[in-house]
Amino acid sequence: MKEAFKSYGVALGLVVVTTVMAVPLRTTLTLANFTMIYLLLVLILAIQRGIIPSLVTAFASFLSINFFLVPPYYTFIVADPREVLDLVVFLVVGVVAGRLAAKAREQAQEAQQRAHDQEVLYRLADSFNQFGTRSGVTDSLMQVVQREVRALRVQVLPADEKAPLVEGVAHYTLLQTGADIYGTLMVVCAEALPASRLQLVNACARQAAQAIQRAELAEKARLSQQFEEADRLKTAILHAASHDLRTPITIIKSSASNLRQLGRQLGPEEEAEIAQTIENEADELNKLVGNLLDMSRLKAGTLTLNAELNSLEEVVGDVVARVYQISHQERVMTTFPDDMPLVCFDYGLILQAVTNLVDNTLRYEPADSKVEVRGEFDVRQARLKIINHGETIPPEVKARMMEPFFHGAGGRTGLGMPIAKGIIEAHGGQLWVEDTIGHGATFVIALPIMEAHGHEAQNSGG
Amino acid sequence: MKRKILVVDDEPQLRKQLKIGLGGHGYEVITASNGHEAITLTAQQTPDMIILDISLGSEPNGIEVCRQLREWTKIPIMMLSVHDEEKTKVIALSAGADDYLTKPFGMDEMHARIEAILRRITAEPMEHTRTEIRAGDLYINLVNRQVFVEGEEIHLTPKEYDLLRLLATHPGKMMTHRAILGAVWGPEYGEMDHYVRVFVNQLRKKLRENPARNVRYILNDPGVGYRFVSID
Repeated sequence: MKEAFKSYGVALGLVVVTTVMAVPLRTTLTLANFTMIYLLLVLILAIQRGIIPSLVTAFASFLSINFFLVPPYYTFIVADPREVLDLVVFLVVGVVAGRLAAKAREQAQEAQQRAHDQEVLYRLADSFNQFGTRSGVTDSLMQVVQREVRALRVQVLPADEKAPLVEGVAHYTLLQTGADIYGTLMVVCAEALPASRLQLVNACARQAAQAIQRAELAEKARLSQQFEEADRLKTAILHAASHDLRTPITIIKSSASNLRQLGRQLGPEEEAEIAQTIENEADELNKLVGNLLDMSRLKAGTLTLNAELNSLEEVVGDVVARVYQISHQERVMTTFPDDMPLVCFDYGLILQAVTNLVDNTLRYEPADSKVEVRGEFDVRQARLKIINHGETIPPEVKARMMEPFFHGAGGRTGLGMPIAKGIIEAHGGQLWVEDTIGHGATFVIALPIMEAHGHEAQNSGG
Repeated sequence: MKRKILVVDDEPQLRKQLKIGLGGHGYEVITASNGHEAITLTAQQTPDMIILDISLGSEPNGIEVCRQLREWTKIPIMMLSVHDEEKTKVIALSAGADDYLTKPFGMDEMHARIEAILRRITAEPMEHTRTEIRAGDLYINLVNRQVFVEGEEIHLTPKEYDLLRLLATHPGKMMTHRAILGAVWGPEYGEMDHYVRVFVNQLRKKLRENPARNVRYILNDPGVGYRFVSID
């Protein structure tokens, strides 16, 4: 409303100014000159201010010319009948030209608005493509709508939620594409939105709904691929594992039958040996079940890392102490630099990975030498090298030895290697095999070092 | 006098085997199959120790039973669990359990743990007057704050010594990272678990541990805490 009054003020002001300047010239210039000048005013007002101000200008000009510029002056009487015709024509031309110019102005404005809206939609689509997630899409939708319609509040309500009570005028648009509804876009403004802005909001909502649909479809495809892979792996594991699982069960069962049936006939040494076998095979079975569980968790992506700053040296200490407890021999040699940093990892899982690798390496270590475990680090990563001095692994075996239940020349590797690899990769690290200088295989575990953790503790006094 | 042990587990075969196994080691074994029975038996028979399964397959579960027992008794409790998950262990310890064992376990290991706990319980009243600790090649003189490895005195910083003393005066007892932090550094160090790891690491080197020959004084339980080796 204020804007409209201002326009009328401008219109009347211009007429007054023009008239004041025209009055001294009224004897030298003709009526035709004056009508042209006023017509120009009408056109300017039409283009700048729209139709109503231009009509106001036309009428005010008509009256001003009649009153001030046409003799007899200061009356609305016109002496010359030909001038009456001029004035009437002026009024008609003024009104028509004003309307045409104003129309042209509106169309130009609309075209500009449409171009702007197109630009907004285009940029919105662009940002949707960047965020492939539902929340990313709704966030940028809310941001854009907020900016474009100067809303008091913009919110995407979940499909099953009731709209909250708000102050102001609320507009609701479904985020819908086809039969799928992803929620409701609520836009709260101080006053009702004009039709063109509502259209823009609706168009944005439509685009957002499509983007959400795309994101959800992509997510579904990813999940189903993961499930499929997990399923395929399960079948493969069940196939191969049934043999590995049944072997210890068979040994346990036959040992227990022997104990029961032969009872007294057995010497105490034989009896102890059979009992020991049962215990060992039970441990073997337990290890295999643990491995299977870890493997399925790794593959299903449901493994949660309980990562904290830990010492790799401590992990290796635990592993080699266990080796000694089992074999009563010093089979592993360790070297660590004094300033080996702590690394962020899940202790239990990395312990398992290193155990699997050391166990596997020990199997191929010559009886007269020791497996060497060496710690190294640079600014980016900490590395563990598990060095074996047995036979060098042929390249074709190297490529496949980390697959589940791989059968190599030295027998099955079971699940130990693939689990170690899976665990290390879940930590953002890498596991690879190199040739040991001379002969043998070296497994290298590389774990990334996190910045600015832990060092403070090493430096602060004790 | 025979020590009395209460075994609480919902699996009858395991109860039977534990009764045979622990009976063979000279304990008197009584059994319960659920939490209510366990609490009643504890009140009536006052066993010397309780072996308690964590899940029990019914309400109240082992953790809850442990909490309830701790409201009125200090009888040592060892929890059994199949979950090899650190969180379960920490929950069990903070519910008041003295130790835990992961299934499957060997009877010799269970026996060693029981002995360690019972020994600690009997030794506790004298703890205040203990002046020295020996474990393998390690000798600690608590009066002079001196530490010797293989007969040679080694220098420890005050924090390292406090840490060693805390662990060594509770041989065989699982101390959680949180408990160690609180006792050595103070409660305001709440979340700085890695301090403990750094200092244990330094301590191991000074104590000349050699894991490759199983020469170790501080045993590690991943994600839970540390325990000092049992001393005979």
